[in-house]
Amino acid sequence: MKELKHRFSSGFFIVLALALLIFGSNNTSLVNAARGQVTDFFVPILSVASRPLQAVDDFIGWTQQVAIVFSENKRLLAENAQLKQARITSSQLAIDNQRLKRLLNVGEGQVNIIAAARVVSDSDSPFFKSVLINRGTDDGVLKGQAVINEDGIVGRIINAGSSSSRVLLATDINSHIPIKLASSGINMILEGDNSPYPKLGFLPLGEEISVGDLILTSGYGMVFPPDLPVGQVLEITEEGIKIKLSTKLYNLNYVSIVGYEIIRSPVSRPVSRMGDHSPKGKK
Amino acid sequence: MMKGPESKSERGFRWALPSLSILLLILLMQLPYRISFLDNLLPFLPMAAVYYWGILKPNLVPVSAVFVLGLLQDILSGGPLGMMALLLILVRLFVIQQGRRFLEREFLFSWLVFVIVSLVFGLVTWAISSIYIREAQYILDALGQSMLTIAIFPVIVWGLGLFRRMLVAEKR
Repeated sequence: MKELKHRFSSGFFIVLALALLIFGSNNTSLVNAARGQVTDFFVPILSVASRPLQAVDDFIGWTQQVAIVFSENKRLLAENAQLKQARITSSQLAIDNQRLKRLLNVGEGQVNIIAAARVVSDSDSPFFKSVLINRGTDDGVLKGQAVINEDGIVGRIINAGSSSSRVLLATDINSHIPIKLASSGINMILEGDNSPYPKLGFLPLGEEISVGDLILTSGYGMVFPPDLPVGQVLEITEEGIKIKLSTKLYNLNYVSIVGYEIIRSPVSRPVSRMGDHSPKGKK
Repeated sequence: MMKGPESKSERGFRWALPSLSILLLILLMQLPYRISFLDNLLPFLPMAAVYYWGILKPNLVPVSAVFVLGLLQDILSGGPLGMMALLLILVRLFVIQQGRRFLEREFLFSWLVFVIVSLVFGLVTWAISSIYIREAQYILDALGQSMLTIAIFPVIVWGLGLFRRMLVAEKR
């Protein structure tokens, strides 16, 4: 009798698990809400539990920095001199650019940083690449928003609880991000394939691309703001073009959630104002 | 008879220990380790724990608890809902069906059986994930996870042995 009861309960839960597996993916809003509730509960625990790992990581980073401090300083001094030159050039270009944009009445995208978050959990499977962060709808985070860090793109929010969210990484097989080649501006799609190096899709015929080419976001799709660093072309083979992302997705710590919208001035500005952008104080 | 309520509370704590150990292993798997390629190679820790407790104390990890824990792992890891719940129940069922007394007797023998369980577990994880994504995934990833689980099985058994000793201490 006990055996029978045991078999029945095992059978019941197996059927339940199978039903969830088959129908769970369809009924997304209900399932996502439930997932959000559970992650909201566990994210504080994971957040505390991941602190020691963070401390170890920080310590390793610190020892590495100490080891190379002299050579690094020398390199940085040289780089600083170069950057000072580049800053002068880029500020001139920025003024130029602004003037031309006004002339064409190009809609300026507005990027809002919605929240900064800490990555508290990493996926444990090679087939599903996502992380949990400790910010949710209470902080203004919504499904579909872009997640970036100081190096470039990270991914986008696929599920938001009230105080936690799940970020689908750019390497996941379900991730498709509109990008462009920095040099020529050709639009393409960055497709994750669960490997550390996502591939490029939709390269137009006859276009040239070479190893080391810089890839930026294109801003199409209104998720990622344009011109964020994505990565560089790593290798070109018959199977496809692989990209080395500028962000180390295995080593994420703090990330920013950004919203992006285009604001276009309702009436075009009079042409006479095109050159008029002298500092306000001079007026 | 006098000890009634006390032993009851002890029993309450005792019941929770094996499930708690599985919960800890699930959380351990979710932590960000910040090491390249490690997330592709994380061992199936909760599976090893379900195997261990299935042999030693199957009544302390009832199928309902295994289901809830599996579901929790699915939710926290962002995988298909129900996959780990299903697989962990199957592991428990396998251990109980295959005569746990036999597995309990010899560590090396239970490790040998675990090799098969772990490899099949990895294969099924790969298969379900591939069907879920609708694209065949890289099979060696799942097998790598299986291999690592097999390799660290003695460590897991040692760790869970600490929990088991707490159980025995509680019993006295």
